[in-house]
Amino acid sequence: MDDNLTRFLADLERFGAEACAAFTAAAGAAEVEQLRIKYLGQKHGQIEQFDTFFKSLPPAGKKAIGKRFNEVKQAVKQAHESAKQQPAAAGLAEAAARPSTGFDFSLPGVRPRLGRKHPLTQTAEELVDIFGRFGFTVADGPEVEDERHNFEALNIPPAHPARDPIENFYLGDQTLLRSQTSTVQIRVMERQPPPVRVVAIGRVYRPDAIDATHSCMFHQIEGLYVDRGVTLADLKTVLRLFAASYLGRDVHIRFRPSFFPFTEPSVEVDMSWDVRGGQWVELGGAGMVDPNVFRAVGYDPEVYSGFAFGLGIERMCMRRHGINDIRLFYENDVRFLDQF
Amino acid sequence: MIVSWNWLKQYIKLDISVDELAHRLTMAGLNHESTSDVEGDIAIDLEVTSNRPDCLGHIGIAREAAAVLGREVTPPKVDFATSRPAAVDLTRVEIACPDLCPRYIARVIRRVKIGPSPDWLRRRLATCRVASINNVVDITNYVLLEASQPLHAFDFDKLTERRIVVRRARAGETINAINQKRYELTADMCVIADASRAVAVAGVMGGFDTEVSDRTTSLLIESAEFDPLAIRRTSRRLGLSSESSYRFIRGVDPAGLDWASRRCCQLIVELAGGEVAEGAASAGPPVAERPGVVLRFAQLKRILGIDIDPAEARSILQRLGLAELRHDAATVEVRPPNWRRDLEREIDLVEEVGRIHGYADVPEDVAVPMTTAPRTPRERVDALIRHTLTAAGFSEAATMSFVDQSLVDAFRPWSADPPLAVDHPSRRHENMLRQTLVPSLLAVRRLNESRGTFESDLFELARVYLPATARPLPHEPRLAALVTGRELGELKGVVENVLDQLHVALSLDVRAADRPEFAPGRGGELHIGDQLFGYIGQASDALVAKFDLRKTCCIAELDVDRLLAAAQLIPQFRPVPHLPASEREISMIFNEAVPWLIVESLVRQAAGAHLESVRFLGLYRGRQIPAGKKNLHFGLTYRAADRTLTREEVDQSQQAAIAKLRSELGGELRGV
Repeated sequence: MDDNLTRFLADLERFGAEACAAFTAAAGAAEVEQLRIKYLGQKHGQIEQFDTFFKSLPPAGKKAIGKRFNEVKQAVKQAHESAKQQPAAAGLAEAAARPSTGFDFSLPGVRPRLGRKHPLTQTAEELVDIFGRFGFTVADGPEVEDERHNFEALNIPPAHPARDPIENFYLGDQTLLRSQTSTVQIRVMERQPPPVRVVAIGRVYRPDAIDATHSCMFHQIEGLYVDRGVTLADLKTVLRLFAASYLGRDVHIRFRPSFFPFTEPSVEVDMSWDVRGGQWVELGGAGMVDPNVFRAVGYDPEVYSGFAFGLGIERMCMRRHGINDIRLFYENDVRFLDQF
Repeated sequence: MIVSWNWLKQYIKLDISVDELAHRLTMAGLNHESTSDVEGDIAIDLEVTSNRPDCLGHIGIAREAAAVLGREVTPPKVDFATSRPAAVDLTRVEIACPDLCPRYIARVIRRVKIGPSPDWLRRRLATCRVASINNVVDITNYVLLEASQPLHAFDFDKLTERRIVVRRARAGETINAINQKRYELTADMCVIADASRAVAVAGVMGGFDTEVSDRTTSLLIESAEFDPLAIRRTSRRLGLSSESSYRFIRGVDPAGLDWASRRCCQLIVELAGGEVAEGAASAGPPVAERPGVVLRFAQLKRILGIDIDPAEARSILQRLGLAELRHDAATVEVRPPNWRRDLEREIDLVEEVGRIHGYADVPEDVAVPMTTAPRTPRERVDALIRHTLTAAGFSEAATMSFVDQSLVDAFRPWSADPPLAVDHPSRRHENMLRQTLVPSLLAVRRLNESRGTFESDLFELARVYLPATARPLPHEPRLAALVTGRELGELKGVVENVLDQLHVALSLDVRAADRPEFAPGRGGELHIGDQLFGYIGQASDALVAKFDLRKTCCIAELDVDRLLAAAQLIPQFRPVPHLPASEREISMIFNEAVPWLIVESLVRQAAGAHLESVRFLGLYRGRQIPAGKKNLHFGLTYRAADRTLTREEVDQSQQAAIAKLRSELGGELRGV
C-alpha cells in the first residue's frame, strides 16, 4: 500500500474517533447541529475532503480501503443520529427526577378486552345496510334444499350441467346443500304476491377444489326486485347506487352479456371509478328474472318483470381489506380476526 | 374455446385489431380470457357459456363476430368427387337406442394413405392446443374445432361385418379405449358397436382395436348426435372426458351432422387421398323445421328499459341467422337457425337484440321508487347478540358447516340422530353436517393455542342441521356458541347480559345437567320459563383431552330462534323512581348445600312489599367460616312509590327477612 493511502487511512481513523467522541459528549440540539456542520456538512464538513480524495483514487486503491472508508463514515453518521435522540432522552430523565403529582398519561391505558365481528359478518352487514336503504328487506331460506327450489323453479332442467351430482353436495336423491342463494327468491315469491324487494344472504356450497380463492363453502348476497315495469335500467341504477354507496365514490356500471338459467337477459356486472382509464372491476352476476321462474311461482310474466343479482361476500371482503387467501376466513386465527 | 386468429380470418374479413375483436366479442357475451402469440398465429381464449355450444367452433365464433361487426360469414364450400359402390352398399347403420342417439351418419372412404399432417394443419391444431396424431385423426379434430361437431374415424376393415350398431352396452361388456385402458360399461351407456363388440364409447372415446393406424386404408367416418344427459353420465362414471364429450354434453346442431361429415371427407381426400363412396349410410329421422318465434317490439322497452328501433331489432336477428317469416309494425316472427337451440322463446330474442345492440346506453340513473324495508326481528336479535358478545370480549368465528365423525361425537346436546351427510368424492371425511357449533369452536381454540394464543374467547352464530322425520327438509335452528377460558360464573354473566339486551321478560333458570361433556357438577341446562334454550358448563377433562387443549375452558350454546321468541325488541318505559331508596346488606352463614336461589326467594317472601331488589354481593369461604359452610353477602333495596320509608319500617322488613332465613335455613348472621 502506498504512502498516500496509509496516510489517508490514519487521518480517516483519527477523524472517525474524534467525531464520534464529540457527538457522544454533545449536550443539546444546538451543539449537535454545530458538530454536524463541522464533521458531516455537505459543503465544508471534514468528511468532504475524505470523499474527494477517495473519489480520486484508481479502482485498485478504492478496493483496498473502500470497506474501511464506508465503515468509518457509517459510524460517524450513527453517532450523529444517536446524539440527535439525546435531548429527548435528557428531557425524560429530567421529568423522572421531578416529584410526580399527576396521572402518568404515558402509561398504556387499561383496555377492556374487545371482541370483533367476523370480517365476513362486517361485510355482510354493510351490504345489507346499503340495500336496506334502497328498500330491500332481508329474506331467508334453508341451506339444505330440495331440487325444486335449487333447480327446477330456477329454470335449470335435469339435463343442465349444473345439476350433475358431481357439481353439488347431495344429501340423498332429493335434497342437497344449496349451490346459490337464488333458492330464497323462489321461497319468497311462493310466500307472497308481488311487489317483492328482498336480499338474501347466507352460506352456499359448491364442491370446488379448495385454494386461495375457492372454498367449498362461501357466502352470497342475492337481490330480487319484482314489480310492474321493472327493467334492466332499474337493475343498472340500483347496482350503481349500491357500488357508489359501498365505495363512497362515484362509479359507473357496465353490463357484459352472460348466461344464468334463472335470468334472461343475463349479465356480468363490472364497476369502474375510472371509465376513461378502462379499469373495470367485476362485481357479480345479474339479470332480468326469466319468465319460466315467474311461471314456477305463479307470477304472470306478462304483468310483472323483475331483476335479480348475486354478489360474493368473500370476494368483496377480500378486495376491501386486501385479504389474499379465502381460507383465512374459516381458520379463525384470532390474530387475523382482531385486525378488522 | 381457444380461437386461432388466422383460422378465424378464413371465414370473415377482419380489418380490426385482435384486441378490438376480443373486446367486441366480450361485450356480446364471449368473455375474453387471454391472448397469446403462437408461432405466427394468435390464440384468443374466449369463455363460452353453456348455452352456446355453437360457439365451440371457429365458424360459430365467426358467425358471432359477423353479427356484432355487421360482416358476412363465408363458410368453406364442401365439394368432392364420389365413387361407386355407394356407402349403403358397403356398410349399414342401425340405431337400437334412439333415446340415446337420435341420428347417425356414416361415410366410407377407401384407399386412403395415412401419414403426417401438413404444416398448416399441425399449426392450426397447435394454436388450439390439440396434439397432432396423423392426417385423418387431425382432420376429424380440425372439423370439430371448425364446426363444433365431433367426428370419429374408424378403421373400416376392422369393423366386424363392416357395419355399425348403436346400442346400449351389455351387462359386463368392456372396451379397450384409445388411451389403452380397459373400461367396464353398464347398460345405461351408449356404445358404437360393430356386429360383434363395442368399438367406441359413444360420444366420449373411441376404441383401441378399430382406431386409425399407419396400416389403415379404409375409413368409416362417424358424425352423430347423442343425448347430452347420457353422455354426461357416462363421462362422469368412467372418469373420461374429451373435446367430443364436452360438446355432446352441451348439444350439437342436428342439422350440421351431414355438413361436418362431408367436410371431413373433403379434407381427407385432399390430404390423405382416397375415394369417397357415394352418399352416406345413416339412421334417424330428418331434422324437423323449427317453429317461428314472435317478438313484440314493445317487449324490448319493457325488459331492457331502452328504445331500440324495430328496424334495428330485425336487422340484429337476421344478422344472427334468424330467418324472418313475417313482420308488422308491432311484431316480427323469426325462425331461429338449427345451430341456435337456445333460442325458443320471445325472451330469448329480447336478449339477442339487447346484447348485440349493447347495454351501454341502458341508463344507470332512473328513478327507483322508495318502499318500506323494516329490519326483521331476526336481524335485530342477531345484531344485539353480536353487539353484546363482542363488547364482552368475544371474537366472532366462522367455521365450516362440515364436520367429521369425531367432532360429531365430541358434543351432542341437541340431537341423538345420526347427522346428515353429503355424498361427494371431495368430502370423504368431513362429510357430515354439524348439529352443534361447540366442537368447531373448540377446534379453533386448539388452533389458536398451537399458534401461541391462549386467551381466545370465541363465539359463532350459525345454523346447525337436525334431521326431521315428519318433513322432507331438516330443521336448521340458528345457534350462538361461546367458548372461553374465563370462569364459569363470568360466562354465565355474559349469557345473562345477552338475555338482558334482548329484554327477555322471563327469568333465567339453570338446571343441573350431568353430561359427559361437562365437568362433574359444573354443567347446566339454560331455561327461560320452562323453555330449554341452551347449555352451559365447564368442559370435562375428557373433552379438554379430546381437543388436546392446554387449558380447560367453559362453553355455552344458545338457541337463537328460541331467544328470538322470548325477546322483547321494543322495551317499554318504566318510571325511574325519584324517591330515595334505603340500602341494607345482610351477611349470613349457610350450609354449603343452600343455593342462592332459595335464599333470594325467602327474602322476597319475608321482607314485605317495599323490598325492591335483592342483589348478590359475594360468597366467602375460609378461615372464619366453619367447614361445610359458606357466607353469603347480599344487598337489599327498599323503596315505596309514594313516600320516603322510615328507618323503623325498613328495620322491621329487614328483621323479618333475617328471621325467615334463620328459621327456614338455619342461617347465622355474621354482622356487616
